[in-house]
Amino acid sequence: MAKRAVVEEIPVKTKAAEAARPALGRLVWLCVAAWAVPGLGHFLLRRKWRALILFASIIVMFLLGLTMKGLFFAAGSASYLESLGYFGELCVGVAMPIARFFGYSGGDPFFVSSDYGTAFLVAAGMLNVLAVLDTYDIAVGRKL
Amino acid sequence: MAIPHFIAMLLFSLLVSVAFAALSKDAPRDRLIYGAKVFAAFVGVAILLGWLMNLVPR
Repeated sequence: MAKRAVVEEIPVKTKAAEAARPALGRLVWLCVAAWAVPGLGHFLLRRKWRALILFASIIVMFLLGLTMKGLFFAAGSASYLESLGYFGELCVGVAMPIARFFGYSGGDPFFVSSDYGTAFLVAAGMLNVLAVLDTYDIAVGRKL
Repeated sequence: MAIPHFIAMLLFSLLVSVAFAALSKDAPRDRLIYGAKVFAAFVGVAILLGWLMNLVPR
């Protein structure tokens, strides 16, 4: 009997979620905003504290990576790992071109903390990917 | 700026655990507990692996 009640509940929840699902254009806009500026997607969804925490942690991690002279990888590298690193760093959004604009030359591989800096830069991008996915989940109603 | 490796590891663990806690939990208390657990796990595993690698002949 209890099992039957659960089965009946599922379509109701799905219909409610579909009704609350935003338009595709808004979803794309939210995800692009969340990618470009860490936490902006959550801010637009009125999750201000979560947005602030994500923005602060991801940007601080990126800035520490720059401070430790982490490397910016190139897109057309012959190494698969470097190409993956490039996409990982690109995931942090506009912070990477902004750093270049303000004169960051792309790191110093001979500096003592350079490897750690590169790890910080890539990890900041990966955390931003999680933030974008979280924004999507909240927007479609999968998560509060 | 050269940051000592241990401090870099602590900073990395702190920032990642803060982001994980913000993404995974909704209530502030749950976030604090989860973040503290993730941070402790990061640091504990790193120290354990460091000691294990110390046993490996150079």
